Amino acid sequence: MAETAILYDSSKCTACKGCQVACKQWNQLPSPLTNDEYTYTESFQAPLDLAPNTWLIINFREEDKEVGIDWNFMRNSCFHCTEAACEMACPVGAISHKENGAVVIDQDKCIGCRYCVASCPFDVPRWDEAKNKTFKCWQCFDRTSAGREPACVSSCHTAALQFGDRAEMLAIARERVDQLKAAGYDKAEMYGEKELGGLHTIVVAHRGLEAHGLIRDPKIGLTDFWQFLKPLGGLGIAATVAGLGLSYFMARGYNRGEYSYDEKTDTLTVKEVEK
Amino acid sequence: MTNHWTDLQNSDVIMINGSNAAENHPISMKWVQVAKDRGAKVIVVDPRFTRSAAVADLYVPIRTGSDMAYYGGLFNHIFTNKLYHEDYLKTHTNASYIVKSTYSFDDGIFSGFDAEKKSYDPSQWAYEIAEEIPWDTSPTGAYAWVNKPGTPAFTPLVNKKAKKDPTLQDPNCVFQLMKKHYERYTPEVVSQITGIPQDLLIESYELYASTGQPGKAGVIMYAMGQTQHSYGSQNCRAMSVLQLLLGNIGVAGGGVDALRGESNVQGSTDMGLLFGNLPGYLNLPNATAHKNIAEYIEKETQYAGWWTNRPKYLVSMLKEWYGDYATVENDYAFDMVPKFSGKPHSHIHMFQEMETGSIEGLMLWGQNPAVGGPNCSQERRAMEKLKWMVAVDLWETETAIFWKAPGADTPAIDTEVFLLPAACHYEKQGEIANSGRWIQWRYKAVEPPGECKDDAEIISEIYLKLKELYEAEGGANPEQITKLNWDYLDDNGHIDITKVAKGINGYTIADGKALASFANLQADGSTACGVWIYTGYFANNDAPSDPAQQKTGSRDNVDKPLDEGMPAVGSYLGWSFAWPLNRRVIYNRCSCDATGKPYNEEKALVKWNGEKWLRGDVPDFGFQVVAGDVTTPTPPDKTLSFMMTNETVGKLFASGMKEGPFPEHYEPFESPVQNQLSSQQTNPAVSLVASAAETMSTPDEFPIVMTTFRLTEHWQTGGLTRNLPWLVETMPKMFVEISKELAEEQGIVSGDNVVIENKRGVITAYAMVTGRVKPMEIGGKTVHQIAAPWHWGYGSTCSIGGMANDLTPNVGDANTHIPEYKSFLVNIRKQEV
Repeated sequence: MAETAILYDSSKCTACKGCQVACKQWNQLPSPLTNDEYTYTESFQAPLDLAPNTWLIINFREEDKEVGIDWNFMRNSCFHCTEAACEMACPVGAISHKENGAVVIDQDKCIGCRYCVASCPFDVPRWDEAKNKTFKCWQCFDRTSAGREPACVSSCHTAALQFGDRAEMLAIARERVDQLKAAGYDKAEMYGEKELGGLHTIVVAHRGLEAHGLIRDPKIGLTDFWQFLKPLGGLGIAATVAGLGLSYFMARGYNRGEYSYDEKTDTLTVKEVEK
Repeated sequence: MTNHWTDLQNSDVIMINGSNAAENHPISMKWVQVAKDRGAKVIVVDPRFTRSAAVADLYVPIRTGSDMAYYGGLFNHIFTNKLYHEDYLKTHTNASYIVKSTYSFDDGIFSGFDAEKKSYDPSQWAYEIAEEIPWDTSPTGAYAWVNKPGTPAFTPLVNKKAKKDPTLQDPNCVFQLMKKHYERYTPEVVSQITGIPQDLLIESYELYASTGQPGKAGVIMYAMGQTQHSYGSQNCRAMSVLQLLLGNIGVAGGGVDALRGESNVQGSTDMGLLFGNLPGYLNLPNATAHKNIAEYIEKETQYAGWWTNRPKYLVSMLKEWYGDYATVENDYAFDMVPKFSGKPHSHIHMFQEMETGSIEGLMLWGQNPAVGGPNCSQERRAMEKLKWMVAVDLWETETAIFWKAPGADTPAIDTEVFLLPAACHYEKQGEIANSGRWIQWRYKAVEPPGECKDDAEIISEIYLKLKELYEAEGGANPEQITKLNWDYLDDNGHIDITKVAKGINGYTIADGKALASFANLQADGSTACGVWIYTGYFANNDAPSDPAQQKTGSRDNVDKPLDEGMPAVGSYLGWSFAWPLNRRVIYNRCSCDATGKPYNEEKALVKWNGEKWLRGDVPDFGFQVVAGDVTTPTPPDKTLSFMMTNETVGKLFASGMKEGPFPEHYEPFESPVQNQLSSQQTNPAVSLVASAAETMSTPDEFPIVMTTFRLTEHWQTGGLTRNLPWLVETMPKMFVEISKELAEEQGIVSGDNVVIENKRGVITAYAMVTGRVKPMEIGGKTVHQIAAPWHWGYGSTCSIGGMANDLTPNVGDANTHIPEYKSFLVNIRKQEV
């Protein structure tokens, strides 16, 4: 199986959220059932953040202008890194790379330790307290291994999302960036070719990485530390609980710059989401 | 749409105006994106910065309700800079026609206005007539069919040929009158009215007018932002006129594109669901003006063009409705057809009549006026007077529970309400027509759950019961029901939708064979046809009950022109059936000059090769005459540009409109400013019912302009989408968009609960403070606009919220009575906790 990737082109995205719903539908991820369970998000971005039951959202960023705004959309989901911090951090080997590059959590093996949550530079994996498992996008490996596109890609009508051979996606992205620059989008750039050893979600950010909320030159924060601890984790989890617990809280601080989430009261503070 | 969805890829400039295509017609953006990839530019004109604006090359913010000023300014720009498509104007429009000197215009009012009746006498706007040619009804004449036995007797019409000045210099020719009319729409004035900065205004004008060059194509995608105004029809006229000026109708990539608000609105209007229509866009008869079929034919048939065939379509429709009972002796049961009493029976008027008690019962089919109607709290109160209501729907809508709406005095309401559960589209088969006029068959995937039934089955069961009752008990005019042709049942007595399809398609009565073209329909009672424009979509007599073998079920996605040597331009003629006659771009004669040479060879739809017409698309102009075995091509100078008009050309100047032959700017019924172009503040022919006049909200008390909109995440009144958690989650709460400036003035921050009110109602919503709406400078004063979706109501367990339509006025357009949902006045404040 060749290395594959999703290509997201922000300049073609109309933020219809078809991908968001397709993801939920294919992966059978439930949404709340009653009016009281929903909160107002103050934005077209809804839900506001990824969650154990939400593996993909479209982010909406507004930049005010004299006439209108720049409305910068971004597909927010797993990037399926080659150097995947989550995989490195997982003490029980529950996270692995599929042959096409998709990074997948094996829920049978997951022990809910949340090291992956702490280590991901993109803040993607989310822990489900009730199940004590962590969840994230798996690039619909069930579909792709059967020759189909991921559900999100299949729902996209403007071809803002494409899926295919990674080299081909990179080539399309490169050409698109050139087109966009010629059309006046000076800051247009591509994302994912080299980042973290190469991502399996390639992005064309037509107004530049920052405008779309992408982290320039992402780093694997605490992974070195986990690399050191990982063998221990594999051998005797109980022995490392204290150390890992401490690090988990460190990691929370590290990762949650944009959102602050109080797990006790289950509230999410999101005032700075538009940054 | 005069073209179709896949044709959007051929456009050079796409103006999305009064539509939010990306959010409400998401799939359209597939083809807009293809056009963009080919270098097309996209302009979005909208009071709000939308997701369509996010992907536009140029965003033009406009004050809601000022579209006509924008178009008037564009006309003026086109005339001043000679950017019109001159050859197209001379060949395909009435630019050269001479108008009688009785036509005049003064200070917002055209000649012929009766101030007391608030209506015009359009005869004042007639052409000078050069020649009158009576219909040739001799045995070899074009109208020989008039004398065929069985045809209703009527006085044949007289074709009137207008005087013309091909040089367009005569001061009373349409071109000169129009040029003069729009001189007043200077950039300065238009900028003051619309709030669009002058440089941006001109930039958008220049970009769009660039499509006036021969060979270029511009398309306008519009929706309810244009139509839902008290002058919405004139907005539509303006778009048509603009496209004629620039030569953008009938060409690949050009068109006036109504993006229909629901997936089968096109089909509904085709079937005559508008209150003034019979199926196939025949006008509903009027009890006073049309006492018999002869009067109807004489007054409603055009003297020239394709609509001269109207009697054939009327008689064929009546034969389908009443079968053997319809004979020439009884006027083909014309008396059985419901007729206008003289009063309009629009949605607005219907609820007015419920309020006064003259309507006692209401059947609702997938409609939710308790949330979707204008001034909908008034509509809910009006429904309280009903004796009974039957709601047919997938869900228990707000209308089905209007009797327990907030504020309703439930014990005092006596209405008996029935909710009939309906099958959804995956649970039944049948066709839907999309905005591009494609009639596509859809198959049943699963059986409906529980007692849910296909709508057609519900109708059939009700009909059969009514028939039984009328036969047993009699009653007023029972034949209207008992004599109906209901030849649509299967062996078990259930509705067979393929039999209905055959009735819609039309057939020869003698042998029951389906017809391939409406050219075969007759006025002598020998053919039956439910909807003439659909003829051909279900005409395969070899497999009459198999939709897959009919054109409507055809799914050939190879893009191939009809004749070799013509380019493939994305017509996909083998994919379903587009009415009329599988034609994809209507008025396609206009893609060529007078000699039949295409304005754009690469995207040619038809072409005269010196001997005959080569066809890419299905021609729209009588391209050949077939007599027996002999086929004679029609030379270019004998073909028709716009075959559906009396003039057989496009009308820059049209006498059929209620408020004048040229679209003129008026302010919305509720406006924060005075009309700067005339002292006539509002549409002089506006449709006003008592409850609308009583609740008019004035700017001294309600200075904020409000508009309503829809979201991708929800659909219409939310009956469907607010009950689907996956969708609710993507847009969970009712909100209102407020500019940062207004928020600051009012001390509102995002997330606050705000109260919005006017004389019609009070609602609450969450504040969404955003740069997507901004204050505008209008006539020297700052005008704030706010905007809210109308998807919320009180009737779901999953998502409930304030109803924007509690605030909208039930004021209607003069021609169609469509409510002015898009511009009205309110006040807004932070809700006290």
